[in-house]
Amino acid sequence: MQVELIHFLCLAAILFGIGLYGVLTRRNAIGILMCVELMFNAVNINFISFAKFITPDKIIGQVFAVFVIVIAAAEATVGLAIVILIYRNFKDVFIDKMNIMKW
Amino acid sequence: MNLRFDIMIPELFLFGWAIVVLTADLFFIKEKKNALLYMSQFGFLAAAALVIFTPTGPNEVGFGYMFYNDTFASFFKIVILLAGFMAVSSSFEAVQKSIEHKGEFFGLVIMSAVGMMFLVSSTELVSLYVALELSTIPLFILTAFQKRYLKSSEAGLKYLILGALSSALLLYGMSFMYGMTGTTVLLAGSITMLLNSANVHYGLVLSLVLVVAGLGFKLALVPFHMWAPDVYEGAPTPITSYLSVASKAAGLAALTRIVYGFYTVGTAAEYWGILIAILAALAMIIGNFAALLQSNIKRMLAYSSIAQAGYILVGFVAASQLGLSGISIYIFAYLFANMGAFAIVVAVDHKLNSDRIEDYAGMARRSPLIAVCMTIFLLSLAGIPPTAGFIAKYKVFMAAIENGTLFWLVMIAVATTVVSIFYYARVIKEMFITEREVESSESKWILSSPITIAILVGLIGTLIIGIYPEPFLELASTVTQSFVY
Amino acid sequence: MLEGSTAIAFYIISFVMILSAIAVVTLKNIFHAALFLVLTLFAVAALYILLSAEFLAAVQVLIYVGAISILMIFAVMLTAQLTNYNIKQTNEQSLPALLISVCFIGITIFAIATNNKLGGFPIKENTEIAGSNTANLGQLLMRDFILPFEVVSVLLLAALIGAIVIAKRDN
Repeated sequence: MQVELIHFLCLAAILFGIGLYGVLTRRNAIGILMCVELMFNAVNINFISFAKFITPDKIIGQVFAVFVIVIAAAEATVGLAIVILIYRNFKDVFIDKMNIMKW
Repeated sequence: MNLRFDIMIPELFLFGWAIVVLTADLFFIKEKKNALLYMSQFGFLAAAALVIFTPTGPNEVGFGYMFYNDTFASFFKIVILLAGFMAVSSSFEAVQKSIEHKGEFFGLVIMSAVGMMFLVSSTELVSLYVALELSTIPLFILTAFQKRYLKSSEAGLKYLILGALSSALLLYGMSFMYGMTGTTVLLAGSITMLLNSANVHYGLVLSLVLVVAGLGFKLALVPFHMWAPDVYEGAPTPITSYLSVASKAAGLAALTRIVYGFYTVGTAAEYWGILIAILAALAMIIGNFAALLQSNIKRMLAYSSIAQAGYILVGFVAASQLGLSGISIYIFAYLFANMGAFAIVVAVDHKLNSDRIEDYAGMARRSPLIAVCMTIFLLSLAGIPPTAGFIAKYKVFMAAIENGTLFWLVMIAVATTVVSIFYYARVIKEMFITEREVESSESKWILSSPITIAILVGLIGTLIIGIYPEPFLELASTVTQSFVY
Repeated sequence: MLEGSTAIAFYIISFVMILSAIAVVTLKNIFHAALFLVLTLFAVAALYILLSAEFLAAVQVLIYVGAISILMIFAVMLTAQLTNYNIKQTNEQSLPALLISVCFIGITIFAIATNNKLGGFPIKENTEIAGSNTANLGQLLMRDFILPFEVVSVLLLAALIGAIVIAKRDN
């Protein structure tokens, strides 16, 4: 058994696709944010496997992954702050029940 | 490594100014908070002045291509700073009415502008992504800033979720760009050598589609536009105007950097033209027809800005010096007309508490000057002479015709321009023709001075570019110097 | 290229990761979904170790598992009614969404595989990374990538201010 770059890339593609499915079907804002995190993780797998297999002498991919993680954390924080604001003021976090505005 | 702090003085100043505004907030009593608005106005203007005096050119590169101050970047910085200035100016009424944390409001607007300035200067993927997020995360917060309105919170959440989704798509595309070249620098020379010649078609197409989809969300291109009308309607109106101009200009700059820097090399050049041309056609058709159906002026302007992005892409596809300078002049014209129109929407919203187009009825009698200004802005958006919009549309269409293969796209553009006249004219008709009972108690409208400045800047810009465009055309033609064909 | 026991580890990790990721997107109870998210993130961290990115594996556990997922679980618990089984957590688009995602995965894998077969990814034969990976990463961050490193601190400041302003209770 051998594992090469292509295996990691395919795994990342599957994880990204699963996340995409979740984003399209979840009704709940927190649920959607969790699925987006799956997609960010798929991206990071891509970056880190490229860093190992393509540029082992200068691991730019890992640097990129660090930034992705930091920014994902910042985004999640802001997202959850808004979710809590909506829940406190309007008692609802379902995205398609909030239909003051149409999609 | 070359630590060129001297070419990023405007960014450093503006970030410092954001901290100054945030700190000053603590020292002002509630009645004096308006000073924060004047401080932010000053910050934007001073940064714009600094941008003008910062050297530009092919040698002004710092931090290993992460900061590149070419004429293209400094042109977009001026656009972003002017948009920020006008958005802040037109926020006087809105801030007094529904914004509780004024210092944070202005501080975040400035920080977002700092992010956009870094974004237009980035010729490297990591710094481009970080700057993109620095420009959008404050915008998510600002969209949700009217905490007592469900519409605003909901718009903020929707914007954040779709923004995160688009970042994921963009990053996934970027990871393949990195994987195929082993570098993150977006410079044609270094990529040509690294890109493994003829064998990368599939990977290139895949990464191109993902990157364009990711940036398409940020630019609100069809079919990634679903969020725009809701967010534009729900956000505080000054933020809407800022979103529709500054954020769009910054996204366009990022698209230009990536597509012209990466996908014009070798075999990659064949793919992006047709993809972007289709997106442009879709944006013009769907944006203009959907705008016809709107009864809320903010939603109408949202769809109109989707369509405007389509016209900008027409110049983008032309991929020539003419096309790029056409885009630059278009963005300039769009900046003044759209910011001006939104400033008037803020004023009307303040006086009448309504965003509905019917409520613009009788405006000509109530406040003739505002009605005339609004008419000029809408005519410019529609592209009717003697306004700036006409020159801009003319330049972009000419560039596309010169390209030779894009005649069909120009036909669609012209046809949809005719459609667009209908919905812009509808507002004008309401203002001038529809009769409305004017209550005798209603006095003449007196606008605050900041919002008057915003409207005046928009008006002067629109008319000067429309009547005497030569210096601006000359300026626009220098913008393209750093892109080689 | 990985061989032998590491290859077996790869397949086990992938199996766990995919199953728990499917659980994250399909489970009815959002709280359970959040717990499976933690498992998925752990599996990703394990994968990073296989890819000789030890520092990132630690960061993954500390930030993703330790902070982001806990934040999510907090949010789920604060908005308590969500853990109720009777609330439908998915919308009616699951069939078209399934179709879209499967097509997406299929097309992406096809493109990657073809690109790989044609030699589109310039793989270096010697994949052993010279020296300590963590040290390399630190030097890159502090030397080549100092500008985004500084810009991201501005971003964190903005997110911090924003999150406080948004979540703060006004009277």
